[in-house]
Amino acid sequence: MSTDISFVDVSENFRRISISGRLDISGSDAIALKFTSLAVATNQRVVVDLTSVSFLASIGIRSIISNAKALQQRGGKMVLFVGENAAVTKTLEATGIDTLIPMFADAAASDTAALA
Amino acid sequence: MAASVVNPIAELSIPANTEEVRRASAWLELTCLERGVPPDEISRLDLCLNEALANVIGHGGTSIRAFPIRLHVDVHRNQTNSEAIVTVSDSGAPFNPLANPPKSRPKTLAEAEPGGLGILMIRKLSDNQSYRYSNGNNQLIFSVRWPKVQQ
Repeated sequence: MSTDISFVDVSENFRRISISGRLDISGSDAIALKFTSLAVATNQRVVVDLTSVSFLASIGIRSIISNAKALQQRGGKMVLFVGENAAVTKTLEATGIDTLIPMFADAAASDTAALA
Repeated sequence: MAASVVNPIAELSIPANTEEVRRASAWLELTCLERGVPPDEISRLDLCLNEALANVIGHGGTSIRAFPIRLHVDVHRNQTNSEAIVTVSDSGAPFNPLANPPKSRPKTLAEAEPGGLGILMIRKLSDNQSYRYSNGNNQLIFSVRWPKVQQ
């Protein structure tokens, strides 16, 4: 399964990034540069939509953490939208990432948190 | 009652490179499906296998490339439970990834280091983990269990 990344600019400083497919070694490598270039910008608010991610390995989590940290250092903020994706939710909870980067099952709640 | 083996042990050998990890995942899924392992348990094993292979390939040193990485899967059932056991054997330098206690979790994003999650995931997502060094090979073993469905 291929791994894809796309985005929508909701407003000047608010971007929704959607990732789909397997975030394993190959998949994370395939989108790493684009993910960073889309996510990390001064004062940007970002929702990362993981609802269509079928597999989330530690290398994918590493990429999310790196970009969230870099974004935070530039005055921005990242939140994660997982919807009903139980597998991804379980992985993020098992590794404690949900306590470091806000994670939401509800799209509207994730937008609100990103803009807060 | 003693546990019974569902099918013969399944085996796969792969070269130690990252391009082979997806092939290993596909093999694991098919092997587990053939042995009646539920989808949620296959997902847990798949994540653990990915982390184990990433560790071996990334940190196994030059000797890791001398011989293939060998994967074994076997499934046992008894009257109440089933268990799927995966063994990952490699020829790298002796290294027990389970020897160190889990790191304390960062409290903030600023404190977080974007690495070291692989072993944590294996610990959290599998029901049992062990390591041994035998005949010049590291062997990392992890398993998942699920209850027998009442008919």
